[in-house]
Amino acid sequence: MSVASDSPVHSSSSDDLAAFLETELDSGSDSSSESFPIEEEAAEDDTEVSNHRLKRRKLEHLETVDDVDEIEDVASVKFSQEISEASSSKLPCQHPGTFGNMCIVCGQNVEEEETGLSFTYIHKGIKFHQDEVTRMRDIDMKMLQNQRKLCLVLDLDHTLLNSTVLRDLKPEEEYLKSVTHSLQDVSGGDLFMLEFMHMMTKLRPFVRTFLKEASKMFVLYIYTMGDRPYARQMAKLLDPKGEYFGERIISRDDGTVRHQKSLDVVLGQEKAVLILDDTENAWPSHKDNLIVIERYHFFASSCKQFDHRFQSLSQLKSDESEPDGALATVLKVLKQTHSLFFEDGGEDLSSRDVRSLLKQVRKEILKGCKVVFSRVFPTKSQAEDHPLWRVAEGLGATCATEVDESVTHVVAMDVGTEKVRWAIREKKFVVHRGWIDAANYLWKKQPEENFGLEQVKKQGTDEKSDDVNI
Amino acid sequence: MFFHMVLERNMQLHPRSFGLNLRENLVSKLIKDVEGSCSGRHGFVVAITGIESVGKGLVPDGTSSSALVTFPVKYQCLLFRPFRGEILEAFVTLVNRMGFFAEAGPVQIFVSKLLIPDSMEFQAGDMPNYTTSDGSVKIQKECEVRLKIIGTRVDATEIFCVGTINDDFLAVINDPALAA
Repeated sequence: MSVASDSPVHSSSSDDLAAFLETELDSGSDSSSESFPIEEEAAEDDTEVSNHRLKRRKLEHLETVDDVDEIEDVASVKFSQEISEASSSKLPCQHPGTFGNMCIVCGQNVEEEETGLSFTYIHKGIKFHQDEVTRMRDIDMKMLQNQRKLCLVLDLDHTLLNSTVLRDLKPEEEYLKSVTHSLQDVSGGDLFMLEFMHMMTKLRPFVRTFLKEASKMFVLYIYTMGDRPYARQMAKLLDPKGEYFGERIISRDDGTVRHQKSLDVVLGQEKAVLILDDTENAWPSHKDNLIVIERYHFFASSCKQFDHRFQSLSQLKSDESEPDGALATVLKVLKQTHSLFFEDGGEDLSSRDVRSLLKQVRKEILKGCKVVFSRVFPTKSQAEDHPLWRVAEGLGATCATEVDESVTHVVAMDVGTEKVRWAIREKKFVVHRGWIDAANYLWKKQPEENFGLEQVKKQGTDEKSDDVNI
Repeated sequence: MFFHMVLERNMQLHPRSFGLNLRENLVSKLIKDVEGSCSGRHGFVVAITGIESVGKGLVPDGTSSSALVTFPVKYQCLLFRPFRGEILEAFVTLVNRMGFFAEAGPVQIFVSKLLIPDSMEFQAGDMPNYTTSDGSVKIQKECEVRLKIIGTRVDATEIFCVGTINDDFLAVINDPALAA
């Protein structure tokens, strides 16, 4: 057989092989292990074929052996490889996922309790085991890092659009019926009449630019509390070519827990996913990934739902500004966070966490401000635990309970408190809590004049103190 | 695999359809009920090819104004049932990073990435596909593939299968893009 002569290791006697092994593997090991390969070799000298095969395999192993410790493994591996070749059996199937209760790899029936997460938004009946999901997330992460993309999960209602049932349209909104855009070519319009669903939908201004820009930096998902047909229909309006979302449309029928949203069915690692939603409470376990956006109330029914007494945009016959609106602001934040993540700082990308970067971006907003609160918190509770205190700290401000020279702002709800009077004397800013809330939603420090307490100017500093309860 | 069998079914008919057209009514009701349904044992009923016999109608005991008469009907029909180990040709409907979904008539087949040969890699994009390193073979939406069934499961109205293309002579049969 000419084949045997190709192998440089081939020799008629096993002694040569032992010598070859010794030189190749370096005499770092103890003598007992060295003798192992030689003995095995002698036993198998019977058939030339098996001998040759062993030598071939040994050659492959020699090429892959890196450290001296692996000498002992050579013998055992050789044997096990023989066995595995003979029986051609693989490892027992791990059942990484099921399609209608059948394992997707071996086809056997898998019991209900063992199966993992349902991914109904991909296809009905498909489930994946948690380990498989983690594995897919890791592969995905690598692919995204090569493309320099992160994940962005978008809510629909009041975030990207506003829908209303036709029945709830107020008489002054009837004019809208005549200005709806055609459904044949949706790319130009933003107000659509969906007769077959008895609904009318208005897309938020700037949404198309937002999606186009965001899709360059993020893989986009839709996650809505609407049902599947509604979600698909809205995706068709926002993304007629299917290029932004693809199949990544998660509706409430696809979520695992009712009335709650979670990243468990999103195929991206949590440290690389950002969420854009108008409702903070919808994401109980992912608040760090969340960017809260101001609600978009176009229709009157939407205002009523949230118990606002204001007029909706349709009633005022106006709309949110395109270049200055909420979506434009959020897009800037997203760009900032994205560039921080992929910044060439030498740090390994796998250790970066988008949640901490988001916090970093947020802390820039009120950086340098020192805030004292006056009559904002009930006296019995701990001031540091109050959500407003937390929000202010999240925005980068330092909070304090007592006034001193370094204080820059006093937040109060009431005039006539000692702290407010002190602030006026010392020419510090006095604002009501709306100033902090606005900074939170608009991602920018707001001019303090717009949030002043009106009466402060009238009262002045000469008044006698009333009951002072700080 | 397709089968041509004689099956029996008890059809219930309201007396209002009695008369000259009794047999016609019976047959049309049978067709409406049975064609397109599926069962675990027989698989999917594709079409009814003929009626073999119609038995005597049985009037139920006790009278009521909405009494339905039962007729046992023997009919010939064409059945479709996938089997484990069977080779089928299917039409790809959805491709994603987990694998692809294909349809062979009423049967939905899923081929997971784990059962796609390693030489084929997933390419994302607006037309996601699996393609070999030299680009010669591509699996994307609307192409035909030959696959082997690994497991089947029958539901009330649907049949689900899990398939593989990790074997000889399997994968793309005909690529619409290359045909041009």
